[in-house]
Amino acid sequence: MIKITFYLFALILIFAASRVITVKNPVHAALFLVLAFFSSAAIWLLLQAEFLAIALILVYVGAVMVLFLFVLMMLDINVNSLREGFVRHFPIAAFVGAVILLEIILVIGAWHKLPTPEAATALAAVPNTQALGMVLYTEYVYPFEIAAAILLVAMIAAIALTMRPHTRAKYQKPEEQVSVRREDRIKIVKMPSETKD
Amino acid sequence: MEIATLNLNMLGLLPEIVLLTMACLILVIDAYLPKHQRYLTYQLTQGTLIGTALLIFASFPEQRVLAMNDMFISDPMGAVLKLFIVLMVFFAFIYSREYLRDRNILKGEYFVLGLFAVLGMMIMVSAHSLLTVYLGLELLSLSLYTMIAMHHKSQTASEAAMKYFVLGAIASGMLLYGMSMLYGVTGTLDLTRLAQTINQIANDHTVSVAILEKISEIKNDNIAVIAIGQQITENAGGATAAIAQILSENTDNTAAIAAIKPIIDQTMQSYTILLFGLVFVIIGVAFKLGAVPFHVWIPDVYQGAPTAVTLFIASAPKIAAFAMLMRLLVDGLQGLQVDWQNILILLSILSMATGNIIAIAQTNIKRMLAYSTIAHVGYLMLGVLTGTQEGYAASMFYVVVYALMTLGAFGMIILLSRAGFEADQLDDFKGLNERNSWYAALMLIVMLSMAGMPPMIGFWAKWSVLAQVIDAGFIWLAIVAVMFAIIGAFYYLRIIKLMYFEKAEDKTPIEANIDMRIALSANALIILLLGIMPQTLMVVCLGALGVS
Amino acid sequence: MQNVALIIVLAPLVGAIIAGLFPVSRRFAHRVTISAVGLSFFLSLYVFYQIVFGGHEIFNETLYTWLVAGNISLEIGFMIDSLTALMMVVVTFVSWMVHIYTIGYMRDDPGYQRFFSYINLFTFSMLMLVMSNNFVQLFFGWEAVGLVSYLLIGFWYTRETAIYANLKAFLVNRVGDFGFILGIAAVLMTFNSLSYTEVFGLAQAGNYEQTISIFSGTEWSAMTVICILLFIGAMGKSAQFPLHVWLPDSMEGPTPISALIHAATMVTAGIFMVARMSPLFELSETALSFVLVIGAITAFFMGILAIVQNDIKRVVAYSTLSQLGYMTVALGASAYAAGIFHLMTHAFFKALLFLGAGSVIIAMHHEQDMRKMGGLKKYLPITYWTMLIGSLALIGFPGFAGFFSKDAIIEAAHHAYEAERAGAFFAYYAVLLGVFITALYTFRMFFLTFHGKERMDEHTREHLHETPSVVTGPLIALAIPSIFIGMFTISPLLFGHYFDGAIFVEAAHNAFAGHESHSSVAWMIISFIGHGLLQPPFWLALFGFGTAYYFYMIRPDLPGEIVKNIEVPYKILLDKYGFDRFNDWFFAGGARRVGDKFWKMGDIKTIDGLINGTANTIGWFSSVARNVQTGMLYHYAFAMIIGLAVLLGTFVIL
Repeated sequence: MIKITFYLFALILIFAASRVITVKNPVHAALFLVLAFFSSAAIWLLLQAEFLAIALILVYVGAVMVLFLFVLMMLDINVNSLREGFVRHFPIAAFVGAVILLEIILVIGAWHKLPTPEAATALAAVPNTQALGMVLYTEYVYPFEIAAAILLVAMIAAIALTMRPHTRAKYQKPEEQVSVRREDRIKIVKMPSETKD
Repeated sequence: MEIATLNLNMLGLLPEIVLLTMACLILVIDAYLPKHQRYLTYQLTQGTLIGTALLIFASFPEQRVLAMNDMFISDPMGAVLKLFIVLMVFFAFIYSREYLRDRNILKGEYFVLGLFAVLGMMIMVSAHSLLTVYLGLELLSLSLYTMIAMHHKSQTASEAAMKYFVLGAIASGMLLYGMSMLYGVTGTLDLTRLAQTINQIANDHTVSVAILEKISEIKNDNIAVIAIGQQITENAGGATAAIAQILSENTDNTAAIAAIKPIIDQTMQSYTILLFGLVFVIIGVAFKLGAVPFHVWIPDVYQGAPTAVTLFIASAPKIAAFAMLMRLLVDGLQGLQVDWQNILILLSILSMATGNIIAIAQTNIKRMLAYSTIAHVGYLMLGVLTGTQEGYAASMFYVVVYALMTLGAFGMIILLSRAGFEADQLDDFKGLNERNSWYAALMLIVMLSMAGMPPMIGFWAKWSVLAQVIDAGFIWLAIVAVMFAIIGAFYYLRIIKLMYFEKAEDKTPIEANIDMRIALSANALIILLLGIMPQTLMVVCLGALGVS
Repeated sequence: MQNVALIIVLAPLVGAIIAGLFPVSRRFAHRVTISAVGLSFFLSLYVFYQIVFGGHEIFNETLYTWLVAGNISLEIGFMIDSLTALMMVVVTFVSWMVHIYTIGYMRDDPGYQRFFSYINLFTFSMLMLVMSNNFVQLFFGWEAVGLVSYLLIGFWYTRETAIYANLKAFLVNRVGDFGFILGIAAVLMTFNSLSYTEVFGLAQAGNYEQTISIFSGTEWSAMTVICILLFIGAMGKSAQFPLHVWLPDSMEGPTPISALIHAATMVTAGIFMVARMSPLFELSETALSFVLVIGAITAFFMGILAIVQNDIKRVVAYSTLSQLGYMTVALGASAYAAGIFHLMTHAFFKALLFLGAGSVIIAMHHEQDMRKMGGLKKYLPITYWTMLIGSLALIGFPGFAGFFSKDAIIEAAHHAYEAERAGAFFAYYAVLLGVFITALYTFRMFFLTFHGKERMDEHTREHLHETPSVVTGPLIALAIPSIFIGMFTISPLLFGHYFDGAIFVEAAHNAFAGHESHSSVAWMIISFIGHGLLQPPFWLALFGFGTAYYFYMIRPDLPGEIVKNIEVPYKILLDKYGFDRFNDWFFAGGARRVGDKFWKMGDIKTIDGLINGTANTIGWFSSVARNVQTGMLYHYAFAMIIGLAVLLGTFVIL
């Protein structure tokens, strides 16, 4: 039963992921991405990694993708120009993609013969939300702090890159309007008068 | 469920902690500073860097000390590299201040991001876990992307930031993928444990290969396969021990082979996956270093970014990337040395060739220096690929020297630039000697050093890596490297020719702040002085790697 | 001690840098440089006192490791023993005097600061050379003094002759230096070390490969090869036959330079070096014979040339060559102490003669031809008397400095002759006859310049007057040691234990072993003088003086007559035995012809065809390859992916 469920979600995942890069409409692509996230969340659930599954849905589907869709809908992207050259480059790209896929299959194809690493099974005894909670602020406090610094940098970056000086706001400065002089507004240019040739 | 015993040992992280605290403080202070007092941000930043350097110096470790649950390591190599990183950034900030002010991008965030980048580099340098390597790298990269993009008005800067970001994300993805493979096989992120496991697997692999060869040779000879078992020491552990066990218990040849077959298969597969992970990890590092063919971002980013930022990206982060290379390949994957050696040889030759040859055709000096960087990265990897402590020291020497030279070269570009004018064409250096002979002399020193001419330090850098390569028995590789160095000398010497033998087109006097002039002169003179006394730096590098 | 040694060396370097790079004013330049050398001089005196009288043990320390390459370490370090201390005092003292003298000599020269910077740099280099404790630093000092010599010979770089002369000096020295560096390489190969103490220790203990195979199949004694190669270096620097050709031409440089570099200090570097290497040279009888013969040839034949010169400086220059030959003979006769003794006395009186000649030249408004002088005695009294002292010292008049050292050398040559060293017979008679020649040319110069008819033109005569005190001061200061230094130092230097530990002489080779006397020093000096009065050298010198007096005072017409009768030998002498012409034709011309051939064959065909072809190909390839960098993001990403595929394919799958 688990196997059937797994293959079902895996198929949906692969289908959705390939549609993301093949559909013409970016909004559709984003929606397919949401589908892909859902499917992978489902696979995580099957693996009893409920925390990751929920986090994926909450963070990516709930927040990131919605934001993404907003942006996509607001910006009117010219789809046709983006897709230029796709057909032209497709064969060679497909070839390289196929080569890499083949290589990965050759290597990873043998994976099931390996013993399951200990770390993965050790956690199964407790719910993994709890397990994460136990180590996140103790054993992994250092990476956790670094991640916090990364987030802080991301915030600074977002503000630094988007905040512009208030040139767009239009407001009046009465004191300047009052003190204006003729020279500020009018410039008298002397030119030689035209002569008829 | 009990809580794991913690070994925080936070005192070793004091420089990092102080740096982080100060970065946050400066961010807040800057927000409340009135506009005309913004220079305080700069001074605070430089003060922080000096303080960090002093702390690193004060807490210089005698040997390897682990902290933060073994995720942080402080060792002499790390401390030396951190000191140099801080020093380079200090110089870079001196050079960039005026440039940024002229272009209206002198903002507090720039320096704060710079400090975060330094923090990221220091984390990379001190990483003792795959996780911290990755997080440090991300902290660094994210800061760099932003620093490039901060020049809103420049189309090219935004484009460069975008390219860097996307390609960097791909590279990060590959690095993570590779790390996940390594984790999958070994079940650990800790570099020491990773190294132990990998050594074990590599050892098992060698034994397995030997056995497979024997099996194919001897076919049905009853005694021979079992005889192998006696040669293997049982205390070797891992699969080797298991094989030895089986062989000693079995007397029948076919049965023995059948029994050991699954173990051998499993070892071979583990090893293949390790290699697979290794390739991805190397790609991650090669991207950061800028080795061909993962160099593609370098020319566009170096050229597109504001020169001050290029200066920043080109100097200190390369030292951090070298540290990353050392931590991952040497601390973690020493067991696969035979394999990564070959990969590095290939990358190194490609880098030296591509960098040196394409640089010739450039007319933009920033782009030319970008290709020169790629070539230097090729030389830098020569030392590491020998797999000896002396080789690592030679590479460390090279990367420090490289950072110094790059700092000088980009510093000169900044010096010649002024508000509304970028001196980024080769022709902008025409007749520099007429305009100011002192600066021309400084540039001469930097260019000669980059070309690897004695008595500049660049010569000793090349010399030391080449000597190590020859010691390791790769004479052909040394010859190839020298050939490309000769080709490379052409474009450095061309700048000298432009400076000294051509008429100046632009006669604007060169102006700069006193701190900039002193720093730049010091920078070039250090290159010359170290060239006369290379042993000073060499001893530091050898000492950092525990070679006396 | 270490700090003092460092200051001694570095003070002139700092002075050179300040004077050369920060041209504030003329006065500033000479003040800085003169105080720098003065400081070095007084500290050298202090070191000398410490080593010789203070009982300070030999200072030998490595201060800085410059580079380690494999098992060879290149270091900077000082070794200060009695030999070094003596050289330091001589070098800094003469240099100091020359510095002061230069203020007067170069007064109107536009390159004033440059000049002071150079001579300060020279002092630094020379000190590095003598104070070195290893071969690498020795070589550094060796090359550095060569460089400064080159710069100074060509100091007036607008004169074509000066440029020719400095190029010649440079090229000829290159030949010597080539031998020298081969010698150092042979030392490194044989002993696997470059430190003096280690090498000497190993050599004395006999712990080295005894033979070197230079061409396959031939075996050479390692020590002979090393010593001869090192001596070839000395031949270049100390202008020994046949590498002497550059020294006379070097007189194109300003006179202070001729005094400092080409008479007193640099040219003696070769002598110093051989003395320093005495533990090596003592082990090779063959090399010593070679040294002996070369020295004798130089001493005798170069002296003869001085007789026919008309340029006052050239006379002194050839005299220098001849005296250097004497020193070399001393070395070849294993009398290193006598060589160094003569080096020291010679440094004083030859510097005096040069500076005196310079004083004459200043007074004569840079006229150097003696045929246009004469009767200068009354115009230049101080110069006259000091020159007389210098001349008497040079010819070895009993009691003067040169007498002791020269007699010691002749004595040593005699001893070597008795000990049946190959070539010693020739050497002994060459130095003996050399005494006569020395006296002849010295007093020829002296009489032509200061006595006889006044042959200068009216204008010059009107302006003749004694030179300023910055010129005469050093003359007097140098005249004093020219008289007395021999007397006071002969006893410890030759018969005492002064050089113990610094110079090594095999007991059988020691010429002065039997002379060790237990009577008082004063009595020994008097007996040495008395002994000298009865020996042939004194009578030969007197005879030379008489000849000169007869030819140039009593019968000034006679030399012209003689020349007419012996035209062919005279031409040969004027042609300096044809060495210059031969070198020009054979080496310079030959090199040009060969170069021309190579240019036609190599350059035009190979380089222009092949190399430029390669360069062009690379240029073309470069311009094509740069197009790969399209600027398109997906191309870049794609390039990385291909890289991944290739790496995976090559290193994982295969």
